[in-house]
Amino acid sequence: MANQTFKIALLGNPNTGKSSVFNQLTGLRQKVGNFPGVTVERKNGAFKLDNNTDILVTDFPGTYSLFPTSLDERIVLNALTNKNDIDYPDAVIYVADVNNLERHSLLLSQLIDLKFPIVLALNMNDIAEKSGLHIDINKLAALYDLPVISVNGRTGDGLNALKNELQKLLQTKKSSFKNFYNLTENEALIAKHIQEKIHVKNEYAALLIAHHVKKISFLNAAQKQELLNLNENYKFNSINNQLDEIMHRYNQFVPIINQTLDKQIAIGNTLTDKIDRIVTHRLLGPIIFFLLMLFIFQAIFTWSSFPMDFIDQQFSNLSFYIQQHFSSNLFTKLVSEGMVPGISGVLVFVPQIFILFLLISILEEVGYMSRAVFMFDKIMQRFGLNGRSIVSLISGGACAIPAIMSTRTISNWKERLITIMVTPLISCSARIPVFAVLIGFVIPRFKVFGFINSQALVFMMLYLIGVMAALFSAFVFKKILKSNEHSFLMLELPAYKMPHWKNVFFNVYDKVKSFVIGAGKIILVVSIVLWFLASFGPSNKIKEAINTATIEASLMQYDATQTELHIASKKLEYSYAGYAGRIIEPIIKPLGFDWKIGIALITSFAAREVFVGTISTLYSIGKDASRQTIQQKLASEKNAAGKPVFTVAVALSLVLFYLFAMQCFSTLATVYRETKTWKWPALQFAYMSTLAYIVSLVVYQILK
Amino acid sequence: MLFGFILNKLNNTQNITQLIIGETATILEFSNGFVACKLMSMGLLSGTSITLVRKSPFGGAYYIKTENHYIGLRTNEAEHVLLMKNS
Repeated sequence: MANQTFKIALLGNPNTGKSSVFNQLTGLRQKVGNFPGVTVERKNGAFKLDNNTDILVTDFPGTYSLFPTSLDERIVLNALTNKNDIDYPDAVIYVADVNNLERHSLLLSQLIDLKFPIVLALNMNDIAEKSGLHIDINKLAALYDLPVISVNGRTGDGLNALKNELQKLLQTKKSSFKNFYNLTENEALIAKHIQEKIHVKNEYAALLIAHHVKKISFLNAAQKQELLNLNENYKFNSINNQLDEIMHRYNQFVPIINQTLDKQIAIGNTLTDKIDRIVTHRLLGPIIFFLLMLFIFQAIFTWSSFPMDFIDQQFSNLSFYIQQHFSSNLFTKLVSEGMVPGISGVLVFVPQIFILFLLISILEEVGYMSRAVFMFDKIMQRFGLNGRSIVSLISGGACAIPAIMSTRTISNWKERLITIMVTPLISCSARIPVFAVLIGFVIPRFKVFGFINSQALVFMMLYLIGVMAALFSAFVFKKILKSNEHSFLMLELPAYKMPHWKNVFFNVYDKVKSFVIGAGKIILVVSIVLWFLASFGPSNKIKEAINTATIEASLMQYDATQTELHIASKKLEYSYAGYAGRIIEPIIKPLGFDWKIGIALITSFAAREVFVGTISTLYSIGKDASRQTIQQKLASEKNAAGKPVFTVAVALSLVLFYLFAMQCFSTLATVYRETKTWKWPALQFAYMSTLAYIVSLVVYQILK
Repeated sequence: MLFGFILNKLNNTQNITQLIIGETATILEFSNGFVACKLMSMGLLSGTSITLVRKSPFGGAYYIKTENHYIGLRTNEAEHVLLMKNS
């Protein structure tokens, strides 16, 4: 028999333990992507029912009903009303929490009316088991006319029974005979029209299309207009009908549930209440939040420094090894100087991303994140952001890439987009080496008030300026961007629970994997291109430069190392990157930058910290030079007119340029991946560069 | 205005923003269809008993509790939930 593949939809309300069931079913055989055309995360997984039955399961976003209020819910509606949608399922696994069977039955009753073959997976959580909640599963199965299986997402109990039931269901294709909602006369007439016009089989599906004409993506403009006219003709009052329908459904299934369930557990004065008394407290709440964020921030820096150094070291050893053991030709150079540092530049960020997502996933699993959203929603709203944006902004202090990835939890598109656009203004860890070298020029080391290090104070001020710039830009974007999406916050605050480690693991695994594969490819390509630009030049210029440099070195009686450094510096000057630096010089001159700084600005696109390495090469400073050596060397550097290159004005202008400018190709690539269009990264690059240019220009022109 | 206020007092109705912390009341109806649709989908129906747990630290949001779950709402949504005081 040939292999058969079935599509299964995993559906349920938010906070039902749906993702636990998904992880139990698919294990590592899962893939995160996006739903076609939109940027809502789509999780797919595969498993086998038997040797010739493959199952492809889609974990849909948690949904309260098929009356969508968010992009997430709209996707579910679209996938379930369109037979040609790639996610249209052969059968549905519906996950409901046994404690909340009543409200979790609303969506289920709608799915039953759509006549999908459904198996109901009742998630028995610990609370239910401890309190001895009893449910008559057979009776429920009979009354709903569905197979019902009790499962435990934590332990995986019941998963085999679920799979067996699914297999039976796929053979019989049996849907429930139960009908939870009978259309009103008017609704039935409209539905009939729609069924005929756009060939929808199911009456209830046609009604849903009538309710949400504008949100249905498979209708073309003409069809939409036609259906809107139809609604008009029948004086169809969508929202009132929806409310009546919801009430009608509750009246149908509440009696059923009362017959099968002993008692509903009231949450009463539980642990969650006690925790929230402290955690969401008017004063303590924000303090606890900032301490937690400070801890995350600190953890990203301290815990990651060892693995990052380790990765960095291993890769430079590898480069060295290749240089030593293979003949020096173009290919080995490409590998040792272009590719290996490129891969290293990707992997070196993994520890930070791992730690950030580990801690954020734990906070999310525990139930804390939704409290943070609740507390800060109002403030963030003023800037066009969402309560959840605060997490992304703080993560931006480590690296903008994972920070932008973490905006996926913001369901309002406009708020998410603004968060993405402003996050790179927060000073990330790649800016630190640049600041560290340059601040020495601007600020002499002394004690403020006798105990505060002046340079540390400037560092803090730079962070603060970054935060203010981000909030200011967010405010501007809020005024400019238009959105038809209703912004609301009707947010379930789940009861606190111990994190489910399997979910945390899969979440972190997904994030790290998508970074390494997604952003990694681009960082690697950019590194290779930049290596090429810095290693090659037009025709014979580089050869000439090497010859001249060798002669110069022997005239100056340099030793071997000095000669090598001098040649490297001249090579870079006459490379394509060097020429590019000269080309942009007229543009950056008003900021106080010469063409050598121009070269460093260009090579910084691989990652900002590359600035330090490029400057070191240009000024013939050895690779392992300390910060003090670099600073001394730069301070003594004179231009053609005999004036120092790095004055206070230049250094400050450069610091501010690095603070504001969008000099990170990986971030731009991540923004592209998250927004699905080059429009937003291009705009981001433009506005941040303009901001940087203007600020540096003003500062330099005043100070020079 | 004043008449409406007196009527509210007489009928003993109010909305979520008028509750004091810890106070419990029963949902009477919703004065906005969108808010009604969303909250009813989340399990808040007329007749459901709710308690105001807290207001957000910087204002603008309300944290309420029903028999078996917790929900956070903004002011402009909480206003549309009309309540009957439990006496």
